[in-house]
Amino acid sequence: MNKITALAVLTFKEGIRDRALAGIFIIALIMLFATILFTGLFGHELGKVLVDLNLSTIAFAGLLLTFFVNINLMAKDIDKRTIYCVLSKPISRTQYILGKYLGLMLIVFVALFFLLVFSAGIMYFVKSLYANIYFKDFSWSCYFQAYLYEMLMFAVLNSVVIFFSSISSSSFLTLLFSLATYITGQTIEEVMEFFKKETLGKQMSEMNQWIVDIAQYVFPNFSAFDIKTLASHGKLMPFSHTAALLSYSVVYTILLLFLASLIFNKREIN
Amino acid sequence: MAKAVKIISLFLILFFYLNVSFPNLKHERELFLKYNFIDSALPSQFIKPLSLEFEGLCSDFLLFKFMTFLGGRVEDMKKNNSKYPKYIFSALDTITDLDPYYWDAYYFAQMFLAFNNDPEGANTLLEKARKYRTDDYRPPYYIGFNYFYFLKDFKKGSQYLMKASRLPGSRYYFANLAARLAVYSFQHRDGIIFLEEMLKETTDKRAKKEFQLRITTLEILENLENKVSEYHKLFDIYPVSLKELVKNGLIDKIPDDPYGGKFIIMQNGRVYTTSDMVMKRKKK
Repeated sequence: MNKITALAVLTFKEGIRDRALAGIFIIALIMLFATILFTGLFGHELGKVLVDLNLSTIAFAGLLLTFFVNINLMAKDIDKRTIYCVLSKPISRTQYILGKYLGLMLIVFVALFFLLVFSAGIMYFVKSLYANIYFKDFSWSCYFQAYLYEMLMFAVLNSVVIFFSSISSSSFLTLLFSLATYITGQTIEEVMEFFKKETLGKQMSEMNQWIVDIAQYVFPNFSAFDIKTLASHGKLMPFSHTAALLSYSVVYTILLLFLASLIFNKREIN
Repeated sequence: MAKAVKIISLFLILFFYLNVSFPNLKHERELFLKYNFIDSALPSQFIKPLSLEFEGLCSDFLLFKFMTFLGGRVEDMKKNNSKYPKYIFSALDTITDLDPYYWDAYYFAQMFLAFNNDPEGANTLLEKARKYRTDDYRPPYYIGFNYFYFLKDFKKGSQYLMKASRLPGSRYYFANLAARLAVYSFQHRDGIIFLEEMLKETTDKRAKKEFQLRITTLEILENLENKVSEYHKLFDIYPVSLKELVKNGLIDKIPDDPYGGKFIIMQNGRVYTTSDMVMKRKKK
C-alpha cells in the first residue's frame, strides 16, 4: 500500500509541474470570471445559466486535464524510459498501474476542487448582484451533487485512460481511443433510444440487436453522470440514484484497472 | 537605428492598412450577415448528441443566439413574414429539447409566436413545458390564454386556466377568469390582466414598452366599448362613428391610438383600431 501511495504522490508531483496544467487552470479561471458577464445577458432564469456555465467550465477543465495532462503523464514514463527506474524497484506492475491511477485522480480531484471553490465564490458574488427572484430554482446542494457526479465520471474516464495506455505505447493513440470512448459513452444512450424508436413496430435485425446489446455493456455510460441540466433547475437526485451511480463507477473502474494490469503484466517494455 | 526606423515604418504601414481594411471588412460582414444569416436551427436529433455533456450550455448559447437574431428583427417580424415564426418555432423547439425545463425559451415562445400569428406553435411548446414543469402555473395559464384570446376556443381556454389556478403560485383571479370565460366571450379587461402579468415578469425594456403600449390601447378600447354600450342603452342603436359619442357628451374627444391608427366602431358595437396594434411608421 505504501508503495502505491508513494507512486501516486510522485505522479501527482510530476503532474503539477506540467505547464499545461497551469494553462488549463488559468483558462478555466478566466471562463469562470466570464460567467459574471454572461449571466447578466439573460432574461429570467439567471440561476440556471449561472449553474450551467460554472459546471460546464469545471467539466471542460476536467476533460482537458484528463486528455492532455494525464495521458501525457502515462506516456512520458515509457517515452523517457523513467519506467525502468520504477519497475526495477520492488514494485509489481499491478501496483504501478494502481499508483498511477490514484496519482491521476489526485491531480483531477485537487484541480477541480480548487475550481469548485472559485466557482462557488463567483456564484455567491453573482447571486448578490441580482434580485432573488432570478434564482428561484437555485440550490447549492444540487450544485455540489452535480460536481460529485462529475468526479465519479472522471474516475471512470481516467481508468479508461490507464487501460488504453497499458495497451498502446503512443500517447496519440491513447488520446484517440480515450476520446472515442468518451464520445461513445456520452452518446450511447441517445443512439439506443434512436434505435428503439426507429425499429418500433419493425423487427430489429438480429445483428443490430446483438451489436447494440454488446455496445451497451462494453462502453461506459458517461451520460448517466451528467445531471448538470437538472442541477441547474434545482432538481436533487434521490440517494438511490447516487448510490447506483457510485457503485457503477466503482465497479467499472476496478474492472478496467484489473484488465489494464493484466495486459500490462504481459507487455514487453523495450 | 535604420533597422528600428524600418520596423516602425513597416508597423505604421501595416497599422494604416489595418485601419483602411477594417471598416471594409465590417461593411462586407454586415452585408453578408444581412443576407446570409442562418435563420435555421439544427434539429435536436443532431444537436443533442453533438453537445455531449454540455446540453445546458448549448441551450444557453442557442437562446443567446436566438435573442441576438430577433433583437434587430422585431420590426420585420410584424410584416407578415412567414419565415420568422417557422425559425422561431424550430429554434425554441431545439432549445427546449436540450433543456426541457428552460422557462426563458417557453416565455419567448409565448412572446414571439403567440403574439405573431402562431398561437398553435406556442401551445405545442408550452405543452412540453407543462410536461416537465409540473409545478409551474404559467404553462397552462399561457396555453389557456392563447386558446381564448387568439384561437377563440373559450371552452379549452377555461379548462387550462382552471388547471393553472390549482397550481402553487397562481394568482387569485385565475379561477374567476376561467369561470367567467366559460360563460362570456372575451373582454378587453382579461387581455389587460394577462399583459400586466407578463409585464411583471419581464426585465427587457423593449418588451416592457410594448406591453405597456398594448395595455394602454386595450384600456382605451375597453373604455370606448363601455361608452358604446352606454350609448346603446340610451338610444337603442349602436353609434355609426365615434364622433356621435363626442356629440352626445359621452366622451370629450376621440382618443389617439398609441400605435398611430384610428379607432372605429364595427356594426356589432365593438371597437377596433385600424393599426391592428402594430406600430405605424411615421411619415417622413
